[in-house]
Amino acid sequence: MKNLVRTNEFTLAAVAVVGFATLAVATDFNLLTAGTMDAFLSFLAVPMVIGLAQMVVLAVGQMNLSVGVLTGFCAMASAWLMVDAALPAPLAVLAALALGALVGLLNGLLVVFTRINGFIVTLATMTVLEGLRYGVHGTGTYQGYSPGLRAVGQASVLGIPVVFLLALAVAVVAALFFRRTVSGRRLLASGGNPFAARLSGISNDRALVLAHTLSGLLAGVAAVIVVAAFGSVNASIGDDLLLPSFAAPIIGGVALVGGVVSVTGTVLAAFLVRLVDVTQAQFDINRRWVDLIIGAVVLGAVLLGRARERLTGGAR
Amino acid sequence: MSVVLSAEKLVKTFPGVRALDEATLTVSAGTVHALLGENGAGKSTLIKLLTGVYRPDGGHIRLAGPDGLREVRFAGPQDAQRAGVGVVHQERNLIPAFSVAENICLQHLPRRNGLLDRARIRAEARRCLDLLEVDIDPDAPVSGLSVAQMQLVEIAKALSADSKVLLLDEPTASLTGDEADRLYAVVRRLCERGHAVVLVSHKLEEIFAVADTVTVLRDGRSVAEAEPLAAHTRGQIVDLMVGRAYQEVRLTPRTPDPTAEPALVLAAVATAAGHHDVNLAVRPGEILGLYGLVGAGRSELAKALLGLKQITAGEVRVHGKAARIRDVGDALRRHRIGYVTENRKEEGLFLSQTIARNTAVTVWRRLSRLGLVRDRAERALVAEYADRLGIRLASPDQLAGQLSGGNQQKVSLAKWLAADCDVLIIDEPTVGIDVRTKAAFHELITGLAGQGMAILLISSDLPETVTLADRIAVMRDFAVVGELVNDHEYHRMSQAVIRLIHGAEEAA
Repeated sequence: MKNLVRTNEFTLAAVAVVGFATLAVATDFNLLTAGTMDAFLSFLAVPMVIGLAQMVVLAVGQMNLSVGVLTGFCAMASAWLMVDAALPAPLAVLAALALGALVGLLNGLLVVFTRINGFIVTLATMTVLEGLRYGVHGTGTYQGYSPGLRAVGQASVLGIPVVFLLALAVAVVAALFFRRTVSGRRLLASGGNPFAARLSGISNDRALVLAHTLSGLLAGVAAVIVVAAFGSVNASIGDDLLLPSFAAPIIGGVALVGGVVSVTGTVLAAFLVRLVDVTQAQFDINRRWVDLIIGAVVLGAVLLGRARERLTGGAR
Repeated sequence: MSVVLSAEKLVKTFPGVRALDEATLTVSAGTVHALLGENGAGKSTLIKLLTGVYRPDGGHIRLAGPDGLREVRFAGPQDAQRAGVGVVHQERNLIPAFSVAENICLQHLPRRNGLLDRARIRAEARRCLDLLEVDIDPDAPVSGLSVAQMQLVEIAKALSADSKVLLLDEPTASLTGDEADRLYAVVRRLCERGHAVVLVSHKLEEIFAVADTVTVLRDGRSVAEAEPLAAHTRGQIVDLMVGRAYQEVRLTPRTPDPTAEPALVLAAVATAAGHHDVNLAVRPGEILGLYGLVGAGRSELAKALLGLKQITAGEVRVHGKAARIRDVGDALRRHRIGYVTENRKEEGLFLSQTIARNTAVTVWRRLSRLGLVRDRAERALVAEYADRLGIRLASPDQLAGQLSGGNQQKVSLAKWLAADCDVLIIDEPTVGIDVRTKAAFHELITGLAGQGMAILLISSDLPETVTLADRIAVMRDFAVVGELVNDHEYHRMSQAVIRLIHGAEEAA
């Protein structure tokens, strides 16, 4: 029990509950009305998944700067497939996922074969994808595609939006992957200590490629959520996702050096960031303040992580 | 003799552990003071308190000043350094790309007009190196030095701030006998100049050769305080450390079958690391000791065997069949060869992960069902090996980083036993490990051989090699210069080994 209280996840959960309750009271319980709750959770789905996409590469001590733009690119591509190529929605969804995974795989292979740091590789692919994203349909907007997919994007089960449930399911799978599968554990081992991993018969290269591929795949999932939930997509999608993609795992207690992940922490942190967003909307606060707050919280989380490490790690 | 450093009733508590429990240390000028104790007795904690890395929870530290002993409170390591307490930690703390001189002066680089004053850096470094009477070029980059030279640079660095007290934590752990002798000659000279040296080492032979007084720690308390070393025998010191009468372990005698087909053969092997014409064979149930000076290429040979360095000529045979080993995974899964590294912290363990994960890392696939690793099977595995190897753990979920050195080494070994290897390469199994755990390790290794495992034992500890090995291959300059059948007569064997090393020197 005492150990549970001391975890980062517990702190985050406590802050989330208190923050949510405070906001509910401050808005005269407007927050709890069906419409507001629905919007709250629907818009939480993408930050959650994108945070997990970043977390997967952080697990091996890498960063993926291209996650946001890749989400936009995959969204545009699948919309194009449905609108211009008249492909059925399920195929367009699969294509978005495959495209995301493929770009991720490419990131991974580039990192492994060129030995260039992932930060730089993904900076490059981010720039390339930025161009490609506009190449799909210029500055135009796609809308009016597959009513079926739109319906799924707006549907709810027991008042909970389906897209949010989907994001939760992704989180559960991610948690299971890192906790229980051989690949997931090897990934963490490689991130935690690549030398020991190599001497334990684990291929660090394989771990790097896998992490980047999964990160790309999750960006594809985020793209599907965008397409389904928003009803219209244009080439600016993904521009504002880079900071949130880092904010969620970092606030969530994921180690930047690799080897330690927290799915629960990442999800809770995404929730907190969403809470800040909603506060901004409810009280009509200048949008820039929100970025400032999130930026400050990220910095604070890193500093807190350091302090925690010093308190618990340095023993003997 | 005047007391220069006095630590009284120091207390330091970490979550769940009282690492120091009113420990006392009194050091006089001009003496070498041995600080002894088993792993986990609190030596490292004490050193970290004396050097400002940690702050004590109780007790006080006094240092000699112009007006006698005065209490000091260090805010950090620099503070301690400035007050005249220099330290050489067990881990290297040099910047490889910087020159010797820059490393020595790193803590207080002299500046002129806001820029580095290179002339003064060099002069200051030269002064420190001269104090040690060693011949190292201050302008040479540290990356090009030998381990022994780096150790001397570390000492020069510790002296650069006019240290009155110098703390040396396992200074000879990675040095050969000769290099250690030279290092201790330097230590003696420093004492003659009035410095006080506190020496932590697991090598009792060295302690008795060089130290004047001794403090023994056990479970965070001082069980002997600044007593003259000459008044004690080696056995008495060990008893003090262990806390009960210590008996030399009688190892179970083994008789490996000399006609058995070797499990591992190296035939005229050459590697990209520089080995040439290496011929070795290990039979099941046999321990082959691979002895040599540090830098003779023994660990590199092990790594070449595992596919981490390229084999350029010759042949490796596993159970009689020519084997091309690509990587450790290949060695492990196809050929059942395991490698226990000498750097358990850097290469052997995932310190930020649980003991369970560390033990099962090699066998997750075997432990999984429907693609998921069974946690219960993993825990059972850990319990089994904790029991077999005597690993003291609070829970399988404890982080590997929280274990003591000896227990970490056992975990690092456990993962290979779990993987069911028939050939085990063990590299320096007992470096930095206390006497009792060391004996347990020796018994363990012998036991593994007794069960039919073929063991290649790489060790720089000659007594250890003579205790354990059936045959001893001696390596020098990336070649095997001779092989001896071990008759376990320490005196005769050690002379034969040394002669082999020297013979090669004359021939070269």
